[in-house]
Amino acid sequence: MILRVLNFLVIGALVLAAAYVYRIKFDSTVQAERLAKLRSEVRRERDDIAALRAEWGQLDNPERIETLAKRYLHLKTIAPTQFDTLDRLPDRPPQDVTAANQDPIGGIIENLEQPGSLETTGTVPPSANETPNPASGAPSPVSGAQSPAGGAPNQ
Amino acid sequence: MSAAAETFRIPSPTRPDHIPSREQPLRRWLIGKLLYGSNIDRSAKARARIGLAILAFAAVYSIIAARLVMFAIASHSQTVHRVVSGDAIATARPDILDRNGEVLATDVRVPSLYAEPRRLIDVDEAAELLTADLPDLNATELRERLASKRGFVWLKRDITPDQQHEIYRQGLPGIGFMNENKRDYPNGAEVSHFLGRVDIDNQGIAGIEKWLDGQGLAALHMAGLATDRLQTPVQLAVDLRVQHAMRDELVTARAKFHAIAAAGVVLNVRTGEIVAMVSEPDFDPNKPQDPHDQTLINRLTTGVYEMGSTFKAFTIAMALDSGKVTLKSTFDAHNPLHYGKFDIHDFEPMQRALSVPEIFTYSSNIGAARIAMAMGIDAHKAFLKKLGQLDRLHTELPESAEPIVPKHWGELNTMTIAFGHGLSVAPLQAVMGVAALMNGGILIPPTFLKRSEAEAEKLGRRVIKPETSEMMRYLMRLNVEKGTAAKADVPGYYIGGKTGTADKVVFGRYSKTKVLTDFMAVLPADQPRYLVLIMLDEPQALPETHGFKTSGWNAVPTGGAVVARIAPLLGIEPRMDLPTADQLILASLKENR
Repeated sequence: MILRVLNFLVIGALVLAAAYVYRIKFDSTVQAERLAKLRSEVRRERDDIAALRAEWGQLDNPERIETLAKRYLHLKTIAPTQFDTLDRLPDRPPQDVTAANQDPIGGIIENLEQPGSLETTGTVPPSANETPNPASGAPSPVSGAQSPAGGAPNQ
Repeated sequence: MSAAAETFRIPSPTRPDHIPSREQPLRRWLIGKLLYGSNIDRSAKARARIGLAILAFAAVYSIIAARLVMFAIASHSQTVHRVVSGDAIATARPDILDRNGEVLATDVRVPSLYAEPRRLIDVDEAAELLTADLPDLNATELRERLASKRGFVWLKRDITPDQQHEIYRQGLPGIGFMNENKRDYPNGAEVSHFLGRVDIDNQGIAGIEKWLDGQGLAALHMAGLATDRLQTPVQLAVDLRVQHAMRDELVTARAKFHAIAAAGVVLNVRTGEIVAMVSEPDFDPNKPQDPHDQTLINRLTTGVYEMGSTFKAFTIAMALDSGKVTLKSTFDAHNPLHYGKFDIHDFEPMQRALSVPEIFTYSSNIGAARIAMAMGIDAHKAFLKKLGQLDRLHTELPESAEPIVPKHWGELNTMTIAFGHGLSVAPLQAVMGVAALMNGGILIPPTFLKRSEAEAEKLGRRVIKPETSEMMRYLMRLNVEKGTAAKADVPGYYIGGKTGTADKVVFGRYSKTKVLTDFMAVLPADQPRYLVLIMLDEPQALPETHGFKTSGWNAVPTGGAVVARIAPLLGIEPRMDLPTADQLILASLKENR
């Protein structure tokens, strides 16, 4: 009797196991197909990226950019005199307009009355000028400081 | 109930076993005796047999189970293979990038049209429809191919997606498409000579592309493994922006001076990296060309030239490095130098004794020849050998040329080679040698691949003393301040340079009218970082050059224009109002001593 029950139990378990295995197998097939599809999609995307990169390379080509820039922009090649270092930047102009100041125009007038404070703006501190002969060194900071401001409106 | 009956029945057959001979027929008894033996327990025998059967079945089932597992695993890889075989040709190549990551060469997928003639139903119809869609197809050749009995023929490689769509819509049997890799060079002719190109099957046939194949890529292609673009990109030392600026200036200069060719190199003197290399005329690697067109050679590596006065830099460096000659030594340049029936003249005779810096800045042939003679033939030869001027220069490029060295190197050879005639070298080779004179005395083999200073140090070989290198930089700067290279003085970059003008050899004789001019510029001369070579082949005299066609009137201004454009790109900070070479370089040289 017990053996008989056991037999039925085993048969039932067998059917269940077969069904389960079938499901797993089916799932794995579906997954494998999805994987293959995704892979082919990845390949296609990569190919598209490569094509776009090639196209971008063509659009970004310096020769093309130069032709376009010459036609549409009024820019010139940078001259060596237009470069300068940050430590040779002139001081910041005095802050006339601040939130704390109730009367900004009055502040400007006040600063005008003190000529000493204005002299410091726009001049280069002597320590930054390292060239030994001041005769040839003097024009450079002026031209260096003015060229960005002086060059911009012309362009 | 049946189980109980069974347990009851099992012992019953065993009982007669004890008396087999009497109750069974003789024949069965005999078989039983032969098979089982006479005195064996039949029940034990039966159990053993059942056990054996269980074992056999278990083995069969486990084999089946194992096969199932194997199929389950193997089916996965089979699906992948199916997908890949859709576009079968395995010729993917790695991308080539410049030093900033800009794409120089990449693969794009393009459809190609093929036919399987055996599966074609109506050849005439197919040929008619295909020529309607692809008018550039040769009709008779197409018909011939379709009528052949081969299994597979290419009809047209690289068709447009529109054409593919049109042909697809006609639904011809036996006509198909295959996606192929096609090499694309987005920058066209800008980078042509060193990059090389590929053939229709995506195999490298020149330049870096061929070098890549030599690095194991060809073997991958043969094995059919390089299907996917999974290979790491190759990064070169070249800077596309510098390359463009150089090419742009050279195209301008070549047109202006009506030269048959123009070439230029920018070399990092500390690492040996080639940052730009242009050889005009060049070609668009996207378009197929005649590979035997001699005007399209890379003049910097495959051409050999007599470099002219730039070789005086080697002569003077040799003399200064030996210690026998100092910057104060003088050499007689009163009269042309006679050797046998040959006379050596100066371009601008000074007719007095010249010091070493004067020989360099006036570019005196007589002075250079006298210096070389003072050093001796063997020392001269050994020095040039040490600087790699007498052997073939090998870079990544498969194309290279052997220098033309005189077979019998006599006194006259040493005299003429001292000022750059009688020894033809590849210009890149001369650049490598001059770079060693500039960078402190280390000869570094040039490379097209990215290289760090640490790597360059390991490869480098000391050829001259650091002091000699400093003196040479002084001479180079002096030559720009008050010598033949004055037109290259871009303020702010402290350029040093040496000019060279060589008479070209035409039909075995030095031509009076055809010259090759070159200019080597080092920037900045006090802390060298880059060496620039400009070379013009047969520049013509113009009214604005006052009828001159020497280097100072064409290659030098071109060099100045190139430097002014590329120095900001190379990150060289302009420094205004630097003192003269006498104060800056020579003074520091004396301090160190």
